[in-house]
Amino acid sequence: MTTEKILLNFDPKMKNLLPALKKISACFGYVDENAAQKVADYFFVPLSKVFETASFYDLIKTKKQPSLIIQVCSGANCAVESAYKIIREIENHLHIKAGDEFNPNVKLEIISCLGQCGSGPVMIVNGNVFTRVMASNVVGILQGYL
Amino acid sequence: MKNEIKIITKNWGQINPRRIEEYISAGGYVALKKFIEKMTPQSAVEEIKISGLCGRGGAGFSTGVKLESVQKEPASSADGEKYFICNLDESEPGTYKDRSIVDNDPHLLLEGIIISSLIIGAKKTFIYINGNYRKQAEILGQAVEQAREKKFIGEKILNSKYNLDIEIFSGAGAYICGEETALINSIEGNRGEPKMRPPFPTQCGLFGRPTAVNNAETIANIPWIILNGGKAYAKIGSKKSPGTKLFIINGAVKNPCVAEVPLGVKLEDLIEKYAGGMQEGKEFWFAQVGGSSGRLVLQKDLKMKMEYDRDGKIPLGSGAILVVDKTMDIHELLLSWASFFRRESCGKCAPCREGTFRLYEIAQRLKDGEISERDKTALEDILWTLRNTSFCPLGKFAATAFSDAIEKLKLLQKYE
Repeated sequence: MTTEKILLNFDPKMKNLLPALKKISACFGYVDENAAQKVADYFFVPLSKVFETASFYDLIKTKKQPSLIIQVCSGANCAVESAYKIIREIENHLHIKAGDEFNPNVKLEIISCLGQCGSGPVMIVNGNVFTRVMASNVVGILQGYL
Repeated sequence: MKNEIKIITKNWGQINPRRIEEYISAGGYVALKKFIEKMTPQSAVEEIKISGLCGRGGAGFSTGVKLESVQKEPASSADGEKYFICNLDESEPGTYKDRSIVDNDPHLLLEGIIISSLIIGAKKTFIYINGNYRKQAEILGQAVEQAREKKFIGEKILNSKYNLDIEIFSGAGAYICGEETALINSIEGNRGEPKMRPPFPTQCGLFGRPTAVNNAETIANIPWIILNGGKAYAKIGSKKSPGTKLFIINGAVKNPCVAEVPLGVKLEDLIEKYAGGMQEGKEFWFAQVGGSSGRLVLQKDLKMKMEYDRDGKIPLGSGAILVVDKTMDIHELLLSWASFFRRESCGKCAPCREGTFRLYEIAQRLKDGEISERDKTALEDILWTLRNTSFCPLGKFAATAFSDAIEKLKLLQKYE
């Protein structure tokens, strides 16, 4: 799959800019400058406009991502179900801090609500969603990805 | 429970949401036929106005008035285009009512969308769905295809003069895009920042055309109103805001659930009757009504009526109710609220961009037990500024729960 091939699936209309960027980000992990320039040419907008839009949204990345991304929801409902305990557990186990970008291989992100509030706390590892996570099985879940 | 009025949930669990035939045999798309054969857009909007239906997304604005203003708007632009947008960008913490509608009965929503679009004279409709709802987007996509095959969508709907095309637009993970002007910006390929009003979207919305943006739950009420008339709807629930509402009850209750209940119900009854009361051994502390942007309700106010009321003390918001018991560490909740709004603040206006950030820092220090005198005075200042000077409601919401926690739970007293 190349950026050009993805772009050909979209009409060069402004309403397709966001879906196209999302698709590219999902395909390659992030939108790099090269791809962004191609998007800009295709939609006939300045490069700055492409990054202006891309950098706003959570589901579009503009930087290379680590190979292991762990996300934990800290929305009020998950917080009530002790999401912070899970965050602490992961921090201790992997020796990282939530939100830090120092480790090039792994990142722990605190994210907002995914609409799974009935079955919190919610944890996502590389796109796979785990619900009703308990602090005691965090290590077990992570083992499969390390 | 007997004698329940069910408008939105009547088919839940009864039909296969993936099959349009089952929805039709349960009486589906009859409202659309009635609208096309027996009604005009003007008479339909009149019915919706009589019904008193108001927006279920949180603001509680009259749906009839909104649809009428787009309907009456002269098609001044060259192509005479108007747009209808179904707001399914549900991302308020604790809220999954719209997701449940799509999961259980997507065609009910679709029928409502089609009727509303035809009422305002739109030929193109967008369903703006939360980017994380991938499965739901797929269900809706399938539903649209099925409806197209049956000629409920497309050119000459049911051999009438109406044409309509529906497109599903998946968001990219931004809470603020639930605000209608930000949502419009997002479809236009811009940053999802709210816009100045006026001009209102009803006059100058998507691509500068008159646009109606309605919440999914609101729209799901429309087929019932068209079928049974506005007067019948106005008799349900409370006088100030008729109809039923989906309440999402979560937290320290026995049976967390999504329940359809007539508006005007007491909060106490929701917790006791519908969610089965408190869990064994847990003592009620407070409930948060309306997701993370909602206010806190203490034991003594549990008898309050749940309705959309401009003068009401507790706004209903999205209808999410989080019940918190006394074992909860309030500092974790404060941090949860503060970090949510810090992440989701769009950065357009300084009060919200800076305020939510400072609020988060203070929440962290509170959690670590390191709050200083300076923080306490600053906190008041930040909360006031957020409430009074931020550009859109997000900034105000960021202050709501935090202020309530300080006032009602006397949070800072133990540091004095």
